[in-house]
Amino acid sequence: MKVTSIEIHSSEGAGQALESNNRPAEGKKEPVSWEEIDGENTILLRRTLRSCQSIRYPGHIVIMGDVNPGAEVVAGGNIIVMGNLRGVAHAGAGGYEGALVAAFRLNPSQLRIANHFTRAPDGNYPEPQQPEIARVSGGTLIIENYHSGSSKLFNL
Amino acid sequence: MGEVIVVTSGKGGVGKTTTTANIGTGLAVMGNKVVLVDTDIGLRNLDVVMGLENRIVYDIVDVVTGNCRLKQALIKDKRFEDLFLLPAAQTKDKTAVSEEQMRELTQQLKEEFDYVIIDCPAGIEQGFKNAIAGAQRAIVVTTPEVAAVRDADRIIGLLEAALLAEPKLIVNRLRPSMVKKGDMMDIDDMIEILAIELLGVVPEDEAIVISTNKGEPAVLDKQSKAGEAYRNISKRITGEHVPLMNLEADGFFRRLRRLFGA
Repeated sequence: MKVTSIEIHSSEGAGQALESNNRPAEGKKEPVSWEEIDGENTILLRRTLRSCQSIRYPGHIVIMGDVNPGAEVVAGGNIIVMGNLRGVAHAGAGGYEGALVAAFRLNPSQLRIANHFTRAPDGNYPEPQQPEIARVSGGTLIIENYHSGSSKLFNL
Repeated sequence: MGEVIVVTSGKGGVGKTTTTANIGTGLAVMGNKVVLVDTDIGLRNLDVVMGLENRIVYDIVDVVTGNCRLKQALIKDKRFEDLFLLPAAQTKDKTAVSEEQMRELTQQLKEEFDYVIIDCPAGIEQGFKNAIAGAQRAIVVTTPEVAAVRDADRIIGLLEAALLAEPKLIVNRLRPSMVKKGDMMDIDDMIEILAIELLGVVPEDEAIVISTNKGEPAVLDKQSKAGEAYRNISKRITGEHVPLMNLEADGFFRRLRRLFGA
């Protein structure tokens, strides 16, 4: 398993470093194109996901609340958390590499997009202070500050 | 008609039983008619903490199976006229009581008592389901440890699913000196994750060990800081507004030093 350490592309340098490794895809799935996700709906969840609670949805998921440690969000499309994402998030779970994870505080214990996978570094690290967005770029997962211009990254 | 309050935590060893005993006694001191119900069937110990172990004849399983009348199983406290204990059975297990039976039992109890305090077992299985079945309010106890907070979060999720709205939080065994040094989670960290209302903070106190071993709730000990915290919590349960007590040992010299900016 190839393990690479990547720095987060952040203008302030305030982002945290995540260790990243490309998890070998189970059953070697073909990447899914946008068209296959396009017809899916979005659900809005107005609550906090607590430990051991999980939500799975083939389309996009928007959560107004926090995702606490031990909780899990799995979406075929994008995941947007209007709150603190501290649990596990898997966007593009069907294999769509263009999926995004955005959160007011992107602080997940584990982050997956399609078959890419990163986890929070061990030990203490500075917590994010601004909204951030995670996506796959050049075969690795990157996290960058969210600003209104970032919306073009959402293939909506 | 009284109120049924369940004391729960998910994780074991965070102080559910101690909290139940102290809140119950605290409410009784204030003149309320209180019954403590131990639902930790097979691992009972609320009776030991209350110092009533040697008086048990009938238990909760005897009551729900109709082996005895409710009045026969209730044990009157040795200090307070209006404080009673319904002990758990020691020889059975959690499946000996059903949720329906618990609902009936709590219904009967709240007709007689102002407060019915239920001591919930650790875990999220049948014992937990029984304990919350008849409850109207829930108190979640946690300690300032990541594992305990994680389990508390899980429990709050389950309480919400069971439509037990707005559980309140008690943070137990806090060590202000460690929090100050940054070696222990502070209250704000926990509230941020759990996002529920704080009912009280109980500092770590050696008096608790002594009092639980002696079977005399610390709430009766005027010297004990933990006892004071439990007295305040009992008042808050009745709806009184009591500010959080200052947990720092704020001596004269320390205040003086702070005054001079050291």
